[in-house]
Amino acid sequence: MGTPRRLAQRLLEALVTLAPLASREWAQAMLGELDFIRGDWAALYWALGSAAAICRHIASGWRGWLNRRTAKEDVQMNNAGKKAVEVGMGALSALMLVGCAFGILRIMDLLFPGLGLAHGWSRWLAVLVIPETIFIAGAIILWRKKGPVAAGILTIGLLMGLHVAVHLAMR
Amino acid sequence: MKVRLSPQTVLVLDAFLEHPEDWKYGYDLSRNTGLKSGTLYPILMRLAEHKLLETKWEQSAPGRPPRHMYRFTSEGLRYTRAQSQSHTAGRLSEAASALVSA
Repeated sequence: MGTPRRLAQRLLEALVTLAPLASREWAQAMLGELDFIRGDWAALYWALGSAAAICRHIASGWRGWLNRRTAKEDVQMNNAGKKAVEVGMGALSALMLVGCAFGILRIMDLLFPGLGLAHGWSRWLAVLVIPETIFIAGAIILWRKKGPVAAGILTIGLLMGLHVAVHLAMR
Repeated sequence: MKVRLSPQTVLVLDAFLEHPEDWKYGYDLSRNTGLKSGTLYPILMRLAEHKLLETKWEQSAPGRPPRHMYRFTSEGLRYTRAQSQSHTAGRLSEAASALVSA
């Protein structure tokens, strides 16, 4: 088995392990086809496309859940409640972004353990610098039209910054 | 409209329509339609979620993971045939209009 096929196998196995229950069956289906693909590089392209499909499936699940929740809340809640929900949605989105960044870093560390990606500067870059930059940019863009969502995002950004500051101060 | 009929979705439905009673593998569908896995699987997921496709697992040789297979449900076959007929009718009427105006 060549290196590209081995990588493809590992990537799909990681997806089967990490994907939520609703997407796991599809990840297993993609893994089941791998043995029948001729060519190592074709197998790797298959796995990469499959990973993208699973990510889209997970994201559409989250989007559906958020839309259902928002629609339900719209009917039931008064203005103050709605704002609180929007702050929560902003915070939740920010947390999901950090979770995704951390998950990707873990997968990359599993696939390429020799690179030591889960340690040192690359860890700070992936789980702090890039998310914080996205939070600030997102908050600026959303501030006028969706102020409460932007506030939720900024809150999580600030909490993360504080967490890191405390962590560094304790070392 | 039950599902969004993108050109890629139509390709997949056409592939199932060739032998509607047969179970098909994901990789075979990918080769027959020329679609990559990143395009094919979201379509299969959507069709299965709308109950237009049914799925089952086929046990492979020992040591190999099982394979997922897909086939039209009766509703899926009815829907696709109806879509195919209306598409053909649409094309015929366009051709007739073009002939009349020529």
